Amino acid sequence: MLLQVILSGMATGCIYSLMALGLALIYKSTEHVNFAQGDMSMISGFIAFTFFQLLRFPLVPSLLIALLFSVGLGLLMERLLVRPAITAPHFNIFIITLGASIVMQSLAGLLWSYDQFPFPTLFPNRTISMGTVRVNTVNLGIMGVTALLMLFLYLFFKYTKVGTAMRAVSQSQNAALLMGINVKRSFALTWAISGLISGTAALLIAPVIFLSTRMGLVVINGFAAAILGGWGSIPGAVFGGIGLGILENVAPYYFPSQIRNIIPFAVLVIVLVIKPTGMMGEERRKRV
Amino acid sequence: MLELDRVETFYGKVRALRGISLKVREREIVTLLGANGGGKTTTLRTISGLLHPARGAIRFFGESIEKAPPDQIVKRGISHVPEGRDLFPDLTVDENLAMGAYTKKDRGDIERSLKRVMDAFPVLGGRRKQHAGTLSGGEQQMLAIGRALMSNPRLILLDEPSLGLAPLLVQEIFKIIREIHQEGTTILLVEQNANMALQIARYGYVLETGKVVLEDEARQLSENRYVKETYLGAGKRGEKVHASPGHP
Repeated sequence: MLLQVILSGMATGCIYSLMALGLALIYKSTEHVNFAQGDMSMISGFIAFTFFQLLRFPLVPSLLIALLFSVGLGLLMERLLVRPAITAPHFNIFIITLGASIVMQSLAGLLWSYDQFPFPTLFPNRTISMGTVRVNTVNLGIMGVTALLMLFLYLFFKYTKVGTAMRAVSQSQNAALLMGINVKRSFALTWAISGLISGTAALLIAPVIFLSTRMGLVVINGFAAAILGGWGSIPGAVFGGIGLGILENVAPYYFPSQIRNIIPFAVLVIVLVIKPTGMMGEERRKRV
Repeated sequence: MLELDRVETFYGKVRALRGISLKVREREIVTLLGANGGGKTTTLRTISGLLHPARGAIRFFGESIEKAPPDQIVKRGISHVPEGRDLFPDLTVDENLAMGAYTKKDRGDIERSLKRVMDAFPVLGGRRKQHAGTLSGGEQQMLAIGRALMSNPRLILLDEPSLGLAPLLVQEIFKIIREIHQEGTTILLVEQNANMALQIARYGYVLETGKVVLEDEARQLSENRYVKETYLGAGKRGEKVHASPGHP
């Protein structure tokens, strides 16, 4: 039974991981904090919904269109909101993305109303037994897709020239420029990938929690996950998210269920008191 | 090969270069001397396109390059080894070198450059999967030079290659600079160690507060009384003039 709770916690955790990953990627490359990550996700969900429910497209093309849109939205955010303010202090960019988040929520409410909508899933909603553990196939699907996306990203950043160049840019923009790397294009690509991740998260979670304009609030859990794992660390974002998801599901198993929303942040505070850099965060060392 | 004609570069409102003119001919080593803040690093950054001059011209093989972005400069054959090495610390040695060849498309060319770098720096051969940040200071400088060689440049800009290295390593680095030069690469060298720089350079410029105050054959410069007293530390004992700020 506990194992089962952990498994469904892992599925929720995958969503937090994706949110945290999107935040961490942008932070690592430009030290910008994108508060609109969750609402970019929400908008992509509504795009899929529009094509599938309202325009009667088949499911798979609707989802693919939404993913494509999420990439475009990432690029648009970078080009229209972030790049013009690239020389401004990072805090200004944070406020700009906060503003974008509010605009996106209002716009979505205007276009699609503030109701909740059921959202289709690619995976059959069944429960399968594996020994004594019963697992929901939707949860399995969430974990599978997340794992695939992360594997894809790992291979991209580790083994392709463009991916390596993006890591180089995040370590020294000056040296990257001297190598002939197009740093602006690298930033744009980071936002595109973050957009794709946010879109994927929307399509995975919307069937479970329903589609609504408040969906973007999941970014808060994404922040918690990223900080828990170690702010700015990519593996930290992944494991922080999964850890947070498990905690959130296991806590009500032992304590009154209202504790569900408190426990993750309580643990976050405890972790940060013991290890201020988060589980996998590095100390900031000054290079001599 | 390279010619700067009355180049003026600003950092914000500060005029860091106040009309620098200099020439580098093919296959020679030219050195820029001078105290910190004199404009040596700014000169190199202006040549490599990180900064653009407000006035003046930079010509490379007769073509104007003062408005070109850094990637165009690299493609034309100018490679810059920046001050403080500026490696990618969390990338491996191999990945750092691969980034050096970022503008190169031809795999054969890249392989040949890699072989050349590995021959020049055998010590890097055993560390290819290691993160650059874990290398020693000397190894890091070798990697920084190796990374610049990966684009197979015709001109290398070297900014303080001996900075922070033990005397033995300084000798080693200068030996390598000589070898690179002998293989046919032109070098523009910025150095605090004026002694060493004037030994290997053919021609030198002395920069102070953004202007060329003195230029001559390296041999003549090392005999020059002002250079001797100011940069070669050959003044009377106790009267040494220190170049770095913060010292009396």
